[in-house]
Amino acid sequence: MKSEKVEKKYMPEISRKEIDELRNSVKTASQKIMAENIERMKKADPNRPEVMKYFDEIANLFGQRQKEILAEKEKGKKVIGYMCLFAPTELILAADAIPVRVNSGWYDTSKLGDRVVPVEVCPVIRSTIGAKMIELSPFLELSDALISVLTCDGMTKLSEILSDYKTIWGMDIPRVKDSSQSLRFWNDEIKHMKAQIEEFTGNKITRKSLKAAIEQTQMATKAFRRLQDLRKGPPVIMGRDAMLVNQTYLWDDKKRWTEKTEALCDELEKRVQRKEWVCSPDTPRVLVTGTPMFWPDNWKLPTLVEEANPKGIIVADELCSGERILNDPVGVDEWSMDDMLSAIGDRYLMASTCPCFTSKDGNEDRINWLINKVKEWNVQGVIYYVVRGCMLYGMEYTRIKKALDKINIPVYYLDTDYTREDVGQMKTRVEAFLEMLTARVDF
Amino acid sequence: MITVGMDLGTQRVKAVILKNDTVVSRGQAFSGFDPTKAAEQAVGEALKKANLKISDVAYFVATGSAMEMAPYANSTVSMMGADAKAGVHIFPKARTIIDVGAEEARAVKCDKKGVMVDFVVNERCAAGAGAFIEAMARALEVKLEEMGPLSLKAERASPINASCVIFGESDVVSLIHRQESKPEIARAVFDAMADRISSMVHRLGVNPDVVLVGGVAKDVGFVASLKRKLGVDVLIPEFPDFAGALGAALAAASRAKEGQK
Amino acid sequence: MDWEIIGDILRIAVLAGLGVAGILAILIWKRNLATRVTYLRFVIQAVSFAALFYVFTYSIPLLYVLIIVFAMTIVLGRLYCGWFCPFGFVMDLIVLLRKAFKIRYRSLPDKLNKILHQSRYVILLFFLFLPVILWLIEPPPDFNFAVVMAQLFAGPFRPYSVLLDPMIPLVVPWKGPLVVNQINLSYPYVQDIITYAGQNIGQVIAIAFVGLTLVGSFFVRRVWCRFCPTGASLAVVNRFKGFKWAPLLHIEKDEEKCTKCGVCKRVCQSQVNDVYEQKGGKINTSMCMLCLRCAEMCPYEDTLKVKLGNKTLFKSRNWLEPSKSE
Repeated sequence: MKSEKVEKKYMPEISRKEIDELRNSVKTASQKIMAENIERMKKADPNRPEVMKYFDEIANLFGQRQKEILAEKEKGKKVIGYMCLFAPTELILAADAIPVRVNSGWYDTSKLGDRVVPVEVCPVIRSTIGAKMIELSPFLELSDALISVLTCDGMTKLSEILSDYKTIWGMDIPRVKDSSQSLRFWNDEIKHMKAQIEEFTGNKITRKSLKAAIEQTQMATKAFRRLQDLRKGPPVIMGRDAMLVNQTYLWDDKKRWTEKTEALCDELEKRVQRKEWVCSPDTPRVLVTGTPMFWPDNWKLPTLVEEANPKGIIVADELCSGERILNDPVGVDEWSMDDMLSAIGDRYLMASTCPCFTSKDGNEDRINWLINKVKEWNVQGVIYYVVRGCMLYGMEYTRIKKALDKINIPVYYLDTDYTREDVGQMKTRVEAFLEMLTARVDF
Repeated sequence: MITVGMDLGTQRVKAVILKNDTVVSRGQAFSGFDPTKAAEQAVGEALKKANLKISDVAYFVATGSAMEMAPYANSTVSMMGADAKAGVHIFPKARTIIDVGAEEARAVKCDKKGVMVDFVVNERCAAGAGAFIEAMARALEVKLEEMGPLSLKAERASPINASCVIFGESDVVSLIHRQESKPEIARAVFDAMADRISSMVHRLGVNPDVVLVGGVAKDVGFVASLKRKLGVDVLIPEFPDFAGALGAALAAASRAKEGQK
Repeated sequence: MDWEIIGDILRIAVLAGLGVAGILAILIWKRNLATRVTYLRFVIQAVSFAALFYVFTYSIPLLYVLIIVFAMTIVLGRLYCGWFCPFGFVMDLIVLLRKAFKIRYRSLPDKLNKILHQSRYVILLFFLFLPVILWLIEPPPDFNFAVVMAQLFAGPFRPYSVLLDPMIPLVVPWKGPLVVNQINLSYPYVQDIITYAGQNIGQVIAIAFVGLTLVGSFFVRRVWCRFCPTGASLAVVNRFKGFKWAPLLHIEKDEEKCTKCGVCKRVCQSQVNDVYEQKGGKINTSMCMLCLRCAEMCPYEDTLKVKLGNKTLFKSRNWLEPSKSE
C-alpha cells in the first residue's frame, strides 16, 4: 500500500477495517464454494483422472499459484494482469513477466460493485470492481500493471475505475475487424504495447525471446486442441473438468500447464481405448456460448447442466473464459520481429469471435465457429448464456438463433445474474431444455 | 393401466388419474407451506373419486415448480414437456401451447407427437402471470372472478404500464384517482398481460392451433385480450388448470409402457 | 543429333530421379509441418531450373516447351509460376537472403497490387502487338509474305517470345549473352527490352528493370509476378468461358471452419486476399500462383484444401501437431 494519499476518482473511501472484514468474509465463503464445486465435480465423475488433482490445486485461487507468483515477484519478476483475451500474452511472456487474467467471478463482490456503478452494469465488471474494493482477488492484487483492452463499454470504464489503484494500459481495439485500416491501427497498438511492456519491465523483448514465447503458447494451443479433440467422441471427461483445465491456463505457468494437459490427454486417450466413458454416450451433448463464466462462483450453469435430471454433458463451448483462450495459434510466416508482431496482431484481432466486433457480414465468424463446433462435436443443443447487462451477447442472440434453427439445432436463451438465488429457476429451465434434447434423441 | 400425474404448482397442487389414456378423475389442494402434504391430499381426493387405491397405480410422474418434493413420484417431467403432451392430447392439431399459471407464464412449441421443440419462459417477473391479475383485482377492489366479465364491458382500454406487478399496482391506483372506469382499467390489465405473453409467443412463432392452458385460461377477460393480441383463435380445454397434471399422467403412461417392454 | 536427344532424355531422367530423391529427403528430414511444402517447392524449383537448363542448352524448340506449359496451365492453373518458373526461383532465393538478414518484407498497398494485377494484361498485349506496331511504323521496304512470317514466328518479333524466351538468358547465361558495358546482362526480358527499345534507351530501361526486380524482390515478395506478362498469359488461359471447369487444381475453402484469423492473407507471397475474403468454396483468382503456402500455414484442420478435380491432394492441418501417419 502506498503511504501517500492519492485522491480516488471513482472508488469510495473505505476504512481498512471494513476492507479486511469484508475480504475475510467473502474469502471464507469463496473458499467454501471452491471446495464445494470441486467436491461436486469429483462426485460427478467417480473415476476422475489423477492429473485433475493438479488443476484443482491451481484452481484454488488462494493457494499454491498465489504463493508461486509472490515468490517470483520477490525475485524481481513483474506481473502483468489483463482483462480481455485480446491482451498479447506473448509479449508479456517475452518480457519475462507473468501474465494473469484478473476478471472476477465472485457473486458477493458484484454487490459491492453496486456502490460504484449502477446495477444495470454487467456483473463481471461490478464483481471486478468489488473485488478490487476489498482487495480480494489475489491476481489483481499481485499484478503490477494492467492491460485493459477496450472491448465493451463495461471494460472501457472498468479500466478507468481501476486506474485509481494501478498502472493501466488501455488498448484501443477497432470494432470493425476485417478492414485493413483496422488492422493497421491494431498493429500499431501492439507495437506500442511492446514498447510499454519493455519500459515497464526493463527487459527488452528480443527476437529470440518473442519467438520462444510464441512457441510456448503454440505448444499450449497444441495441448488444448488435443483435449478438445478428445471431447469429440463419446464423453471421456466431464465438461466442467475440461472447462476448469482451460480456465486455469489464465493464471497458471504456461509450460507446466502444457505438460499437465498433455498428461491429462494421455490418460484420456487410454480411457478412450478402454471405452471408459464418464457418462452414457447417449447423454445429450450441449454447447455453451455467451458471457464468460469465471471460476469460482460463476460455475452455476455447468454444474446445473451436468447434474440435472436428465443429465447433459458439455462437450464444447464458445466462451472467452473457455475454448477461446487457446483456440487460435499465432501463425508466423518469417521469424522476423515485425512479422511476429503482425502475426500476434492478426491472431488477437481477426481470429476472435467476441461480439464486440462487427465486419462486412456482421460477426459471422462466431456463427461459423458455432456451426462448425455443432457439426464436429455432434452437439445436440446450444445454451446461450447471458448475464444481465451483457448487451453485446444479448443482442447477438437473435441472429445466432436463426442460424442454428437453419441446421435444426435447438438453442435456449438463459439469462441470469451474479446471484445464487435463481439456481432453482434456472434448474427448471435447464432441465426442460435437456428433456427436450433427450426427447429428440428418442424419436 | 392406471397412471397418476401430479402438478405441484406454486399455488395449488393438481392430480389427474388416467386409465388407458382417458381421464378418470381429478383432485386438487392448496400448496401452502408443505407441497408434499398437499400433493398427498390431491392424489387422495382423486383416488377416492375414482374408487382406487394407491397400490392400483402403475406409475406416478410429477411436474411443477415443486416437483422434487412430490410424494410417490417414480420420475419427473418438466412443466413445458407436460404442457406439450397434454395440449396435443386434447387438441391433436395443437402446435403452440401457452401456459399461464399463478407466477409463471410459458409458451411451448411442439410437434404432432406432443414432443416439445422449443420453449420460452417469462423472465422472472409475475407481471405476465396470474398473480398480476390478483394484485390488480385487489387494487380495483373487485373479486378475482369478476375481473374477466367486468373487462368485457369496456369499449377501450386505459393506458397502463405492466413492467412489474408493483409498479402496475401503483399505475392502477393513479388511474382510479383519475376516475377512469373500472371496466376500462380491468381491460387494460388484461391487455398489458396479453401483450407481454403474445410477445413471448411471437419469439417462438405463432403456429396454429394455439392452446391456452393454466389457471388463468379460465379468465374470460384474459382470453379475449390474448385472442385480440395474437390475432388467432385460442383453444381452451375443459379443465385448463389440470393440463400440467394431465401431461404428467400421459408421460407416466408412456414411461410405464416402456418399462413393461 | 539423335544421340543428343537421347542424352537429353537421360539427363532429364537423372534430374527427375534427383528430384524424387530430394522430395523424399525433405519428407523425412522436415518434420515441421509448417515449412514442409515450402521446402518441397524449393526442391522442385531447383530441379525445374536444371531441367530448363538442358532444354535451353540443347535446341529443343521453345514453342514445344511453351505448348507444354500452356497445356499444363489449362489443367493445373498457374502452378508453373509457383513451382517451376526459374525467375520465381531466383526471387525465392532472394527471399532466403533477406530472411538471413532478418529484414522484414514490405507489402504493396492492396489497391496498387490490384492495379498491377490488371495492368499485366496491358503489358502482355503491348508486348504481343509490339512487333506489329513496329512493323507498321517501319514497314519493310518490299512486302514479302515469307519474310513477314519469318519475322513473326522465328525472328526477334515473334510474339510468343515474350512468354518463355525471356527466361533463357537467366537459365543459360552464355547463350546469346548480352554484354552492355562489360556487364553480362543475362536477365529475363532484358534482351526483349533492348531489342524493342533500341540500344540506348533500352540499356537504361533494362538496368532500371533489373534493379527494380532484383532489389524489389528483396523487399517485396515476388514483386515481378504481380505484373509478369507470362503469368498473365497463363492466367488468360483459365479465363475463357469454355475453360470454366479448369483449372482442375485449385484451393477450396470451408467457410464454417474458417475463423478468419488472417494467416492465409499474411503469408501469401503475391498478396492474394481472395482466400481470406471469399466466403468459401473454390477460390477464384488468377493472382494465385498455387505455392500452397496458405494451405500449409492455415492452423485449422481441413479448412483449406488443395484439390485436383474432386480429389483432395493436400489440406490444411493443425500444424502444431505432428502428423500421425509418420
